[in-house]
Amino acid sequence: MGQYIRRRLVTAIPVFFGITILVFLMLNLAQGTVADLMGEGTGASDGDRATLEAALGLDQPLPVRYLSWLGGLLRGDLGTSYLTGREVGKLIAQRVGPSLLLTGTGVVLAVALAIPLGMLAAWKPRSGWDRLASGLSLISFGVPGFFLCLAGIFLFSVTLGWLPANGMYTAGRYAGLGDLLAHLILPAGVVCLSSLGELVKQTRNACLETMGEDYIITARAKGLGDLAIMTRHVLRGAFVPVLTTILSHIPHILGGSVVVEQIFGWPGMGSLLFSGISDRDYPVVMGVTVVIALAVLCTNLLLDLIYGLADPRVRYGKG
Amino acid sequence: MKRLTALTLAAALALGLTACGGEEKGPTGGEEITVRYGMSSAWDSLMPYNSPSGSNYTRIICDKIYDRLAYVHADGSLDPRGAVSWESAGGGMAVTFHLDEDAAFHDGTPVTARHWADTIALMTDPDCPALGRSVFSVLAGTDENGAAIETEPLGAEAVDEYTLRLTFKTPTTPEDFLLDRNREFYVLPTHLLEGVDPAEVMDLALWEAPVGSGPCKFVEEIPGSQLVLEVNEDYQLGSPDFDKLVVTVMDKSNLLPSLISGDLDYYTFGGNLAAEDAQTAADGGIDVVEGTVPNTFYELMLNCETIPSAQIRRAIDLALDKETLCLQSTQGLGEPTATDVTPGTAYTCDLTWARDVEEAKALLEEGGYAGESYTLACTSNRAGLAALMQQELAEVDITLTVETVDSAALFAGMSEGKYDMAIASHTPGATPLWFTGSRLTPSNNIFHIADLTPYTALVEEIRGAADQTARQTALDELQALLAAERPFIPLWFGRTLHAQSPTIDNIDYPSASFSNENIWEWRMKEA
Repeated sequence: MGQYIRRRLVTAIPVFFGITILVFLMLNLAQGTVADLMGEGTGASDGDRATLEAALGLDQPLPVRYLSWLGGLLRGDLGTSYLTGREVGKLIAQRVGPSLLLTGTGVVLAVALAIPLGMLAAWKPRSGWDRLASGLSLISFGVPGFFLCLAGIFLFSVTLGWLPANGMYTAGRYAGLGDLLAHLILPAGVVCLSSLGELVKQTRNACLETMGEDYIITARAKGLGDLAIMTRHVLRGAFVPVLTTILSHIPHILGGSVVVEQIFGWPGMGSLLFSGISDRDYPVVMGVTVVIALAVLCTNLLLDLIYGLADPRVRYGKG
Repeated sequence: MKRLTALTLAAALALGLTACGGEEKGPTGGEEITVRYGMSSAWDSLMPYNSPSGSNYTRIICDKIYDRLAYVHADGSLDPRGAVSWESAGGGMAVTFHLDEDAAFHDGTPVTARHWADTIALMTDPDCPALGRSVFSVLAGTDENGAAIETEPLGAEAVDEYTLRLTFKTPTTPEDFLLDRNREFYVLPTHLLEGVDPAEVMDLALWEAPVGSGPCKFVEEIPGSQLVLEVNEDYQLGSPDFDKLVVTVMDKSNLLPSLISGDLDYYTFGGNLAAEDAQTAADGGIDVVEGTVPNTFYELMLNCETIPSAQIRRAIDLALDKETLCLQSTQGLGEPTATDVTPGTAYTCDLTWARDVEEAKALLEEGGYAGESYTLACTSNRAGLAALMQQELAEVDITLTVETVDSAALFAGMSEGKYDMAIASHTPGATPLWFTGSRLTPSNNIFHIADLTPYTALVEEIRGAADQTARQTALDELQALLAAERPFIPLWFGRTLHAQSPTIDNIDYPSASFSNENIWEWRMKEA
């Protein structure tokens, strides 16, 4: 297995650099730079723009800029934000925690709801549970995140006044667990609902597929109860595809939820990425890209390793 | 036993977390009062002369931390701030500011004329990588980019401890200077910058926890997301009756809902509200007040290189139904215009506008229009406006392709000559050159005018006019030239609605559009 991990890590290196080159090119091919936003578009002189471009290195050719950024990355330096002048590494460090908290809570909630609901829907097809699962999946897949956010704010903040409509804390800093939780419920609820559909559907389908296996029929023939069959055998059989779906959310958890964070003013990676893109703050976008790319590559490796542990039929061959 | 230990640890953790946020006490010992302030876009730098965007979002934040010379009201009137009074000097070529002797930096150091003069000297130093330095180009001893010329004395001088004298290249009244540049002139704590290489000033850690002399002190920041400020109790103009100001950046769509739900006390700029949201605000118990002075100016930027004929540009102007466009955009809160001269200011313009499709067709023929298709760029929120323009220009057989892009791409595209026209809006000013002064220059020729000489001559004439009558005459000439050549099409001046704070009194809502807020006068409403 050690050899397999080493081989996977080696193949991940060109993929990682490929991602950075692609994102860097796409960013720089987009028309306009941060200098074009100067003075709100038209108030700045050529001299002002020239000073800014020289200060940010935007007067250098594209390959030089990429290599300069890459050199920094290899030294552990993600560069400096064009707009705030702060180290990108520090900006990301500030934002990772809130994103982990928000998206992590949402995804954990979604998993906690999706697995039992998916199992119940598979256990009793066309029942009320199945209809609930289908309904939630429909909302989750069909309703855009921004609408869920605004609907949540309208219902729980504006109409009922139960939950705060924005931010992470009332007074800008930690003021007790209750305050944090109150601010977390609404955005985490939206993240949960957005992730729920895929998880419920995946769990239901995997369970239904497993329920048709011979060993489940044998278990039934032996007189094992439904609950025992579902929890001991069906869930175990459905484990790999469900786990794949769950783990595929890891990059999402780290990268944050752009729409939810932006609307709720949650200080996470998603809102950092959003402002980075709209303000042409390339070092910030590249920094977040690095984090997300690493998370995706690590998740894929982790998934492959877990497959082997979960399913003895999987072997780490040389191919 | 294990369960008991786990429960004890969990309880201790919960207690610890709760204890971290115990109720804080305000400076007076009472419960701390925090004002929650919303913004739809983030500031960039907390160093006012190191802002790549130079946006109003950065200005409105720097306005809190740093002091300016004056407070500018939306109607163009001025109040003392860092300076208690000012008068013209040097035969109209200079302005003398008498500084407030009670002003002090947040570290207790008094603000003197030396600080102001040193700030300007440092920021105009060619070695200092100050951004947006061209704002200093009005001062004597600077080049067109605002960099100091070594061989000439700089037009910023500390006459005595509390008297600052600014000398200009052209005759400038105190009012003109303050209306035009006040929001760009801040005083820095130069006593903390002694011995620092000008080339490295922007790299100082000081700007991550800045010390200013404004009405608020820096506490902490999550760049681009949240800023915590505390009230400067010693601010020379007084202080509000709350303790902290927490600025949170959130999507525009959540500002009004947050105000209604009580999760925000105010949002910038001046609680700006679109007309279609007024009823929602009123239903949510928010008072809505109509602005009295124009706070937006819409223009259709034209590319004079790809539309070289003045007749065709004038035809486009005549073919547009500005009344309908204005109504669609402002829902009755705006007036179509034929000029960029802001209504309600000391300057006027007699030019009027009327749609004339037949005259437009005649001008197109005269201008040799051969059925070219033009590209109009706009941001996504103005796509409806662009579609209307498309329909109106189709009536005179002009084909328009609309490209929806973001702001950076729009301005880059206009600057590079990619687009033929673009819709843009600006915050109007009270001076006669607020719009044209910076756009009709060789260093910012965004309209791609082939020969700028007639414009620059008139701009200089307006700048150098001895009195208002002479200035008005030159302004009329400039406006007549603009009407004949039409390098851009003035569309309308719009007013806004202000969603009033349910918790704070004394907010000067309209003036927020001009990048300053009278925060020292804000008072919490009685519960």
